[in-house]
Amino acid sequence: MANHHIPYALLHGMNVPTSFINQEGSAFDFGELEEAIVLQGAKANLLTGRTAATLEMFPSWPMRYQQTPGSSKSGGESTDSGSALNTISSKTENQFEPDSPISKKASSSYHQAFDQQNLQQQQQQQEMASDPSRTGTSLNQSAPIVKPLQEKKRASTSEKQLDAKTLRRLAQNREAAKKSRLRKKAYVQQLESSRIKLTQLEQELQRAPSQGLLLGSSGGGVGNISSGAVICDMEYARWLEDDERHMSELRTGLHSNLSDTDLRLMVNTYLSHYDEIFRLKGMAAKFDVFHLLTGMWTSPAERCFLWMGGFRPSELIKILISQLDPLTEQQLMGICSLQHSSQQAEEALSQGLEQLQQSLIDTVAGGPAIDGMQQMAIALSKLANLEGFVRQADNLRQQTLHQLPRILTVRQAARCFLVIGEYYGRLRALSSLWASRPRGRLMSDEQPCQTTTELQMVQPSQSHFSHF
Amino acid sequence: MYCEGDSWGCYLPMSLRSMGSDPMERVVKLASESAVVIFSVSSCCMCHAAKRLFCGMGVNPTVYELDQDPRGKEMEMALTTLLGNSQTVPIVFIGGKLIGAMDRVMASHINGSLVPLLKEAGALWL
Repeated sequence: MANHHIPYALLHGMNVPTSFINQEGSAFDFGELEEAIVLQGAKANLLTGRTAATLEMFPSWPMRYQQTPGSSKSGGESTDSGSALNTISSKTENQFEPDSPISKKASSSYHQAFDQQNLQQQQQQQEMASDPSRTGTSLNQSAPIVKPLQEKKRASTSEKQLDAKTLRRLAQNREAAKKSRLRKKAYVQQLESSRIKLTQLEQELQRAPSQGLLLGSSGGGVGNISSGAVICDMEYARWLEDDERHMSELRTGLHSNLSDTDLRLMVNTYLSHYDEIFRLKGMAAKFDVFHLLTGMWTSPAERCFLWMGGFRPSELIKILISQLDPLTEQQLMGICSLQHSSQQAEEALSQGLEQLQQSLIDTVAGGPAIDGMQQMAIALSKLANLEGFVRQADNLRQQTLHQLPRILTVRQAARCFLVIGEYYGRLRALSSLWASRPRGRLMSDEQPCQTTTELQMVQPSQSHFSHF
Repeated sequence: MYCEGDSWGCYLPMSLRSMGSDPMERVVKLASESAVVIFSVSSCCMCHAAKRLFCGMGVNPTVYELDQDPRGKEMEMALTTLLGNSQTVPIVFIGGKLIGAMDRVMASHINGSLVPLLKEAGALWL
């Protein structure tokens, strides 16, 4: 049983060059494979007079290998990436360097930045693994056996088993492979940063009309948007697309008189969809809390009513009460009580934030006793508390949304979510209309009635109005 | 306004209280002595928010400022161990029972479980 897991090469006392066991901590490459084969072949020819069974030389590695803790650098590297991921949350936005923001789920776009490297390695190694069917334990077992062999190997190369030419060629191959790896990595990184730059530029251009035609005004200027903010906005845009889809599903579900169980499933799906945005905001708060707090992630009209980086739950409930007409006494009480609790919680958080702001003002205004750097350090540590408030506010929003289906029937809950979605959709539409409205002198020779015509033209195309 | 300025209801000097050497023991003992107990840090603004929440509901919380207690550091660590390392002050006990940090408190207020707990503990009357 144990023998089954030991590589063929080791069983037969052949030299197993450890160079292919990732000592450089980088991905496996052809140079090393070739070296292993050549060395193997040379030794085997000497010992047994036949060419090496190269297939059997590589056991379950590298897939197993990757998952083995502490057996080598490669395993260590995955752990490092993992811990890097964990520690990123405690780092500021400045240290965040996303490699690839492309992702399906909002949260994984930040993860993928670090997984990308791992993925590439794994893919390379998967291609190379010549015996995928072989399972079993990892090289943990073979590692202790391999080490003494490695020493033997060092001794053996001085025995002139391989001519200098072959050795040199192998070394050159290794180098070439390494260089191309690094080139590829640099290229990919360049692509990704260009992509982010491009998105930044696009966003700046989009914002320009609403801030006046001057680029580089207070909020504008390329590079004023952090990459964390860019990713946040990208993921939010994707979330909005998903939102449209969910809403139309809910709409058809309600109108087609779906069963309560099916409707409940839809409502739960919609709740998970909302959980997703809060997860995204949680991560964005770590990288760029100001982006959330200033509301730059939302549309201008929504920004107008911003409370602590998002919507004010009690306001939303007020809207719902007015839109959900036939409510039983019990339901009305439930909703009003929810509104009341929410108001109390909002008030408490607002007062906490106010105290933080006051404390920050005191620090920044400073006294003669505090020197500049220390003052900044204190101010920075106080700023760090902002994230906590945004998180609690989002928590409040999330809990409020989850409470709705508990106090209402499933149909009413579905209608609630539709109302909410449509309301914010209209605010966003309002923002676009406002941004693209003609502004007197800038559009010369315009009749006053043109404005209304434009509005009429725009209106039918807005799906948000379809429900009016 | 129920609570004004810095006087948070019963603000008891900790030196006169529990003699237990184990910080966790002390925490539990202190937590069971009042209807609503908040373990706080005086400079923490989220703790201020928690205090404001209870005062706004008409509740009179007992606040222990861990940074003003010589053994506060140990107690803070014991609380962190109890809740898991991501949780931090403010930490709330009601009727001797652990409610949790701020997000748990908010969640239980929103889902309607906080008020019954307060009434049960005698901190709130109709």
